[in-house]
Amino acid sequence: MDFDIIFGNAARAAFGPEAIILALAAIGLNIHFGFTGLLNFGQVGFIMLGAYGTSVAVATFGWSLWVGIPIGLFLALALAVALGIPTLRLHAVMFAIVTIAAAEIIRILIGSTDAIGLTGGPLSVSFDAGAFFDLNPYADGPQDRYGVGTFAFTGQQMWVITVGWLLVALVSFGVFLIIRSPWGRVLKSIREDQDAARSLGKNVFSYKMQALMIGGVIGGMAGVIDAIKTSGADPNGFRPQVTFYTYTALLLGGTATYLGPVLGAILFWFLREWIESFLRQLAAEAWLPGAIADFLEGSEGIISVGMVGLALVLLMLFRPQGITGNRIEMQLDAR
Amino acid sequence: MPADRIPSKESAPDDRSSFMDSARRTTEVEPILTVHPKPGVAKPNPILTMDGLRRSFGGLTAVDIDHLEIERGIVTALIGPNGAGKTTLFNLITGFDRADRGRWEFNGQMVTSPSPDRLARRGMVRTFQLTKSLAKLSVLQNMLLGAPHQIGEQLWAAPFRPLWRNQEQANTERADELLEQFNLAHMRDELAGTLSGGQRKLLEMARALMSDPALVMLDEPMAGVNPALAQSLLGHITELALSGVTVVYIEHDMDVVSGISDWVVVLAQGQVIAEGGPWKVIHDEVVIDAYLGRRRAGTSS
Repeated sequence: MDFDIIFGNAARAAFGPEAIILALAAIGLNIHFGFTGLLNFGQVGFIMLGAYGTSVAVATFGWSLWVGIPIGLFLALALAVALGIPTLRLHAVMFAIVTIAAAEIIRILIGSTDAIGLTGGPLSVSFDAGAFFDLNPYADGPQDRYGVGTFAFTGQQMWVITVGWLLVALVSFGVFLIIRSPWGRVLKSIREDQDAARSLGKNVFSYKMQALMIGGVIGGMAGVIDAIKTSGADPNGFRPQVTFYTYTALLLGGTATYLGPVLGAILFWFLREWIESFLRQLAAEAWLPGAIADFLEGSEGIISVGMVGLALVLLMLFRPQGITGNRIEMQLDAR
Repeated sequence: MPADRIPSKESAPDDRSSFMDSARRTTEVEPILTVHPKPGVAKPNPILTMDGLRRSFGGLTAVDIDHLEIERGIVTALIGPNGAGKTTLFNLITGFDRADRGRWEFNGQMVTSPSPDRLARRGMVRTFQLTKSLAKLSVLQNMLLGAPHQIGEQLWAAPFRPLWRNQEQANTERADELLEQFNLAHMRDELAGTLSGGQRKLLEMARALMSDPALVMLDEPMAGVNPALAQSLLGHITELALSGVTVVYIEHDMDVVSGISDWVVVLAQGQVIAEGGPWKVIHDEVVIDAYLGRRRAGTSS
């Protein structure tokens, strides 16, 4: 068993593009769920439109990547408006149902065979992200590695990671600025009691819509990074569990905190990859009975997701405020 | 239809003596004493006028008011037995519920599309029977939420602190003043969820005042509050009226009502059955019957 490799894999996942995508998705969701109390179960829809908007603009229409990215973000914004206008006035539960359904509808439409001409349908879409990698300042030879030991990235990965984490930092700072303002205070009041906010003269619908749009666009950014990283998009990558992973990361790090979603995303991928690598190594051990080794072989992924789920349950039981949350604030809920 | 105004001196002596005791003789209160106490009577300077207001839930008519005026600058109590429609009336006027029909005028303007936030911005602020203090915000943050016209509450300005810092500071000073006045200054930075029930009532009232409202509507401000705090709440209500704010509040306790109200409106089964000075109303046969649950038809013959 080589713990160096296990740790290297886990660390690469924790700081790699996957964690960046999850962090951005969680930051957006934090504005919806954490600060405004919107039960958005369709965050993956915003990610999907960000990814597909960018991919389709470049692959199908042959536009520049720098046109494709704003299109992806605009589509995420448009989804927020389209979802918000009919549902934000309804009960929170209605909103949850509509968002999860809308995200699935979009995924099924994008992945349908009728959409092959536009989105590639079930075949997925791929494009040339050269415009992005042309700017890569890192040497990207086959031998170039950045990092220590097993924790190392290629030049291309380094470029995605650099831009990605800078974006995460920038977005987090922007969120900090708007949430600490009186605007953010109104969001928190809506989260707790809409009628109280109304009785104090706040237009609740308008604030919820603004929050939905901002969080949606940040989710769209996650999609853009995803599209660039994989040079395309696949409908199977946007199943509902992406939203649930996002919730896991958010709850892990601490809802309604500034750094919670970022820490949560890093930790989520570290744990998941650590467990998966560990199980893979374990399956290769000679002393393990054949039946168990056969079972482990190939199902590491499923087991590691299961373990993350278990971790979430334990977290909710013993530290519901997450890593960075405020325990006292949580307890006030129980009244 | 509003009844004609009768400046009758003979109807007032009881009321006058009570106000002498409570030492709040303001010019605001004088004119109302000359109004003839009779359901739906017109008042000299109404801030709120309702006409044909009706709301029913299924077969039950919760509110059915022909005409009611609330006089400006005084304390009006809204009383009535359980299920009389007091809270429903509050909800209708403040836009939290929709009337089946009827219209009302606030501060000289017809209320066309009643939405709670718009009415609040026009100067009609309410509190709730079950206090809505925001538990996860600090007491000060609760107060600051009450301030009107905040630049920093607009998204475009929110990230840029210099744009709203001065206003925030002024609002904070105002909030501190009010907290001092309501004996909450020592809790300023605590989460509102840690306050006692009575303190929350105080906070909600203080928060409502942050916007310098023209009309404050308090839904059972004294319910569930210990006697000492209740006394201080009463004091605040009196002070409010002295500072020129119109107060309407819902209450069950007759003793409380007679102590601080300038005018009392009695609701029963959704209708105004009596109104007038507190002593007058409390000794009114119709009101006593409504409270004791006797059939009105039997006694009015």
